[in-house]
Amino acid sequence: MNGVVEGGWGYVIAAYALSWGTWVAYLLLLKVRSRS
Amino acid sequence: MSAWSQLLGCLYKDLLIGWRGRARLIGLGAYALVLLLLFAFAIGADPVALREHAPAYVWLAVLSASTLLLVQSFQQEVEGGALEGLLLLPTDPFALYYGKAIANLLILTLLTLLSFPIAAILYDVSLLGAPLALTGVVVLGCAGLAAPGTLYAALTARTQAQQLLLPVLLFPLVVPPMLAVVRATSLCVAGDPMGQLSSWVGLLGVFDILYWSLGGYLFARLVEE
Amino acid sequence: MKWEAIAGGLGFAVVGVAHAFGLFVAPSEAAMGETGRMLYLHVPTAWAGMGSFLVAFVGAIGVLWTGGKRWDALVESAVEVGIVMSVLLTVQGSLWARPTWGTWWTWDPRLTTTAVMVVAFAGVLVLRHLVHRPERRAMASAVATIASFADVPVVYLSVKWWRSLHQPISNAGTVDTLMLVPFLVACFGMLFVCAALIGSRWRLAMSRLEREDRASDLPDRPVPLSLEGRP
Repeated sequence: MNGVVEGGWGYVIAAYALSWGTWVAYLLLLKVRSRS
Repeated sequence: MSAWSQLLGCLYKDLLIGWRGRARLIGLGAYALVLLLLFAFAIGADPVALREHAPAYVWLAVLSASTLLLVQSFQQEVEGGALEGLLLLPTDPFALYYGKAIANLLILTLLTLLSFPIAAILYDVSLLGAPLALTGVVVLGCAGLAAPGTLYAALTARTQAQQLLLPVLLFPLVVPPMLAVVRATSLCVAGDPMGQLSSWVGLLGVFDILYWSLGGYLFARLVEE
Repeated sequence: MKWEAIAGGLGFAVVGVAHAFGLFVAPSEAAMGETGRMLYLHVPTAWAGMGSFLVAFVGAIGVLWTGGKRWDALVESAVEVGIVMSVLLTVQGSLWARPTWGTWWTWDPRLTTTAVMVVAFAGVLVLRHLVHRPERRAMASAVATIASFADVPVVYLSVKWWRSLHQPISNAGTVDTLMLVPFLVACFGMLFVCAALIGSRWRLAMSRLEREDRASDLPDRPVPLSLEGRP
């Protein structure tokens, strides 16, 4: 389905990937810092 | 001593310290002047742009200079333990805070009012459109800097990197009064066809009331221990 | 099992399902096309950021009211999580703005307020690193947190007015029912994720504060008043 705004998918995927990546990374960082 | 006379006493003390260190205050004025010049150099010889944004340049210069003023605002009190001495008297911490905040307000207002004629010359803009309203706006704007600034000056007084911390903490906080005061100054200077001045002054007023009351209370808690 | 693990696991699972649904099952938005799918990401993140700073504000009041490490640790953890979420929010906003309006940045009041908040609260974290005495640090962070949080509505209002001078603020538009479900589910799940992150970070902060407390039982060397605050 085409919306009024073209080419949005790339940005959408980037946003989701970045967000999930950040959350997982932060969680891992917390785990690592707790261990030391 | 009543709270009022304590307040006036603290205010007198701070103004006296300011007067005795007036070389520093003159330096502050020179700093503001240099910034006004630098803005002109950075923007370029574009008289339209300079004239249009003159209020912004003035207030940016004042904001930057306020850091220098506020940073040494509590310097005397911290060196030699004068703050502890004052609190042991006992001085009402509200009197301490408001005395200093009002002193800073007066100095900043003076600085801003002196910057206007210089900006008028450098940027070729007439700033006398509505002198009374303009003065009122200047006082409200400086109040928006003085209250949170004095609080953060006390907060960062004993830290290592006070000169870094104070602007980093203060500047995001004073986004609303800066926004409002530049708008309001433009409207006073260039005319206010749509009657927006009252809204901006209202916003300034809300911020000032909020931070002049919050500041006193937070300062009192800060110096309690 | 620690409660944060359960809450976090649940939260991430719920958000994951909502996102999968929103990305691949729900229809694309009428006016915004595919970029509308960012709604399931952007709004929950906004809740998480604001919620975290609200928790930090509550913690700061706790520090002023009763004092104690637990409240100070809450301030530290909530501010940090809030910054992570808010920085993420700003980046998301940028990624939304680019395909929608062609610029990387719009002076949208919510986005701009978030950016200002990031700097304000980052200042609180910087402050924490530069004040060494625990009681002073707790008090200083609490005061700075309260001042910064109280500023949020004023900043929002001022940016909104300032922006409305130049162009009307466009709304995100109303949400279709099929999109409403993953949207609400994502928001709901995100609150759990946020709580779990703050909880984990809180444990870390507590253990550090306790360790610091024990270490300071060593005798202090006498320090003249004017040098207080330096290590």
